[in-house]
Amino acid sequence: MAQPGLDKRTQTKVEDQSSLKGTLASVFLLGFFLIITWVGVFLLFVNRF
Amino acid sequence: MHIHKFEKIWLIFGVATLLVFLSVIGVSAFYLGNQPPSCLATINPEKVDTTAPFDKPGLNKVEGKEWDYELVFVASAFNYTPGEVEVPLGAKVKVIATTKDVVHGFNAAGTNINMMLEPGYISELVTTFDKAGEFLIVCNEYCGAGHHLMSSMIKVVE
Repeated sequence: MAQPGLDKRTQTKVEDQSSLKGTLASVFLLGFFLIITWVGVFLLFVNRF
Repeated sequence: MHIHKFEKIWLIFGVATLLVFLSVIGVSAFYLGNQPPSCLATINPEKVDTTAPFDKPGLNKVEGKEWDYELVFVASAFNYTPGEVEVPLGAKVKVIATTKDVVHGFNAAGTNINMMLEPGYISELVTTFDKAGEFLIVCNEYCGAGHHLMSSMIKVVE
């Protein structure tokens, strides 16, 4: 007997990998903040006796 | 194992930054010879006044060393000896200091001369005075009721 139920394939959508653009931006914002402040303190230390 | 492309980028960036920071500290410590001001030199705190070089506080010219002068300070509650000292501009000076009683600070404001003086230990720092002016020395370790009155002055003159 025909089993019409079998023809109905359930289509599972593969979701797009969640975008990490925002994470990348915030990681680099934090990274550059750390580098700039570190370099600032280091230059202050080097430039005075 | 799958690692997202962005994750690779910031992992490499983070590790590279860490390596740069650590190399700077390593070069500073092992190539330039920077070390903590108090580096295992000890003294009997009760005999500071009779122990060289603290029997002659002030600026003393020295020969045959990497530095031209030794600037000797003795701290006690609540003053520094000497209370004022003149240093010639451009002199390479080893600042040597200790305390007779409790923990004191030794900070020439606006400079990197910043040491903790602990009874029984000698704190040393080599620097070149390449900027003329008056530099106030203050105690930045709370040492008692007269802590805020404790000061000295280094005058860098041409």
